[in-house]
Order: sequence, then structure tokens, then C-alpha cells
Amino acid sequence: MTADHIYATGLRNQWHPVVPSSFVAPGAMRKVTALGEQWLLFRRSDGTLSMLADRCPHRGAPLSLGKHLGDRVACWYHGVEVEGDGTVSSVPGLPGCNLEGKKLVRSLPVREVGGAILAYFGDEQHPEPAELTLPEPLTEPGTDAILCYAEWEVPWRYAVENLLDPMHGAFLHHDSHTMYDGDTTAKFRIRETDRGYFFEKTDQRGVNFDWVELCHTGIDWVDLSIPYPPSAGPGGPFGIVGMVCPVDEQRCGVFFWRYRRVEGWQRDTWRFLYKTLIEERHWEVLEQDRVMLEAMPADADQRENLYQHDLGVVRLRRMYRAAAAEQASA
Amino acid sequence: MTTTWPYLNVHQSRTHEPTPYEYKLAATLEEVFTKDGHELADVIRGLNARQVHAPDGAPWTEDSFRAEMHRLGA
Ligand code: FES
Ligand SMILES: [Fe+2]
Repeated sequence: MTADHIYATGLRNQWHPVVPSSFVAPGAMRKVTALGEQWLLFRRSDGTLSMLADRCPHRGAPLSLGKHLGDRVACWYHGVEVEGDGTVSSVPGLPGCNLEGKKLVRSLPVREVGGAILAYFGDEQHPEPAELTLPEPLTEPGTDAILCYAEWEVPWRYAVENLLDPMHGAFLHHDSHTMYDGDTTAKFRIRETDRGYFFEKTDQRGVNFDWVELCHTGIDWVDLSIPYPPSAGPGGPFGIVGMVCPVDEQRCGVFFWRYRRVEGWQRDTWRFLYKTLIEERHWEVLEQDRVMLEAMPADADQRENLYQHDLGVVRLRRMYRAAAAEQASA
Repeated sequence: MTTTWPYLNVHQSRTHEPTPYEYKLAATLEEVFTKDGHELADVIRGLNARQVHAPDGAPWTEDSFRAEMHRLGA
């Protein structure tokens, strides 16, 4: 793989979100595209999930057109049966055929967290999953998170760059229920951490989308906080843990967990308001991002004139460029 | 579950379209939080003052409100 291909379709040797867990019911399968490749998600009735390359080891037919046999999938073309770990369990047309018992289909390590399926995309030199430290807001007791997933006609990196660009909040989202307030001028700084960096305003906090942390913990995610109006009740601002699935060069899946530090009746009330009224308002804000990003020209990042507010984006690109080059040369 | 690209679904956390009662309760809660405060006592007082009661018509108590939020929000 070339560095350009990796840069365009997503970094290898780390975890990425794929789709929400609910997209694959118990006993069901689902075809998905991720990092520019075709995959089959396969779930047994007991909930066990596997992720297989969507390619029959016989002659390459998509396994996703095949049949779910409970603990394995049978290719529709000539009936070859493959288990969840990629082992061929049977070649019905030629019993005893030497394909049987061989692990011929690539299978990815998977985990399910906060209602999303995560998978480890290693290259040939790194098949063993990288150590994964999950975002604290998704695991900490006392924090409640609700996932919103959407599919955008946008290269994955544009979606991440959008998150490393807090200043768009005061403009793109000025007409929204949460980001109407705060200064439309700001100074930013980068603050390095041992897992990534903060990109933050130096002169305003807690008013708009004023800071973001990029975290590189076996999976890439961002953390940020946005104030709620008083109508949202107790619990203060809501945070967002954001992740992006590189689907292919042109498309991505975005995962936003809205989280809040609330427990007991405060948690229940937030969830009730969220489902009934707030989720739709959040969606309108997210649509502003989608409309803008989908309208960006394909060569947007080739002809830019950047200024101080774009340092977070520049830092991100440098990091991903370097990682892609390193993976390509390995 | 839809399998067509793109998945763009406004409502992902709901299990049902809220009932008129749920819409009214939610809207009133927002008003109470805005005007009366964020403490549980403020909420009970605010809802009862606006005559927005539990489905059985009784004024809210802290216990009945907790139970109803648990039912609707869990
Ligand atoms: S291609 Fe799948 S069984 Fe032949
Ligand atoms: Fe945005």
C-alpha cells in the first residue's frame, strides 16, 4: 500500500469504529465497507460477532451474498462454508478437499463499546491488535453517553479536521441551540499531552465549542465540550466523544457520543428530554456540518490559505501524513 | 434496519414517537429548568404550578417524578 492510499483510506495498525452494534442483529449478517475494503459482519445468535473479509476463499464471491448457518456462513456460489474466525469448515462439493480446516479468510479482532462495533485493522506485519484504551466518557461510571451515527459523503480526514477546528462553531453553528454564544474572534494554542494534543482557545472557555482534545489511544478519538442552555436541566455542558470510520476515499461514518455527567433522576430526565426534544436539535447542528463538508471541493486541501485557527488541522495532517508514510515503507 | 447508504436518521435514541403527554411534559420541563431552577424541588414545584400532572392526574411528588423519569428516560 502506498502512503497516499493509506492517507486516503485510513491508518492501519489501529482500531476504528465500523458501524453501530444494532446494525447486526443476533443471527444476522451485514456487508460493510471500511478502509476501502469489503467486509462481512457476522453475528451468532448468542451475540458473538465476527468480522470477515467479504471474499470467499474459493473463487472470491462475496460471502455477504451467502447464507447464515448459525456458527458459519455458506458461500452462495459453490457452498463453501467459513467459520467466524475465517476457517473453512467444509467444501460440500468435494468433501475432504484440502481447503477444509485451513484459515483462509481474513478476520479482524472486534470489540463492542458504547453501542458501536470497533475493529482492529492491522497490516501484514501487525496482525495482533494494538492495545486499546477506551475513551473515559464511554466507560466511567457517572457519565451517560448516547450514540449518534451518520454516514457522510466526505473523506474521513475532513470529518476529523472539522472536529479539530473549534472556531467553526461560532459561525457555522451560530444559529443553533447550543453554539450561538461567545466571541467570533479568538486566539488558539496547541497543548501537547502524552496521548495527543489539545487545541484550545486561550481567551474563552465554557461558552461555545472552545477546545478539543485529539486522543490517540489505539483508536483515534476526540473529546470536546459544548454548553447546554438552562432548559437542558442539571448536569452542565454535554461532551462529545467523536470517532470517524474511513469507509473509502470519498465516504465516512461519523460516531458522536453525546455524554453528560449525570446520574439518577438527572440522568433519566436528560435522556427523556434528549429523546423527545434535544436529539432533533443536535441533528440539525450535525446536518450543518454535513452540508458544508459534502460541498467542499475535492481539491479543497490543495489550495488553502490557512491562518492561526487552523493550527489544530495542520498538526493533525502532519501526524497522519507521517504515520501513513511510515506504514507504507514498513 | 436499513441497509442503504447513507444512513441519516434524526431519531436514533427513541423507541417510539413520543405521545402528546410526553411532548407536553418535556416542553414544560424545559420551561421549568429555564425559569425555576435545576433542583428536584424546583422541578416538582414548577410542574405542579403549571398543572402538568402525572398520567393519573395526581400532582407530582419527588418519588412519582423519579419513577416516571426512570420509565421514560432509562
Ligand atoms: S466462490 Fe464461494 S464457494 Fe466458490
Ligand atoms: Fe460542527
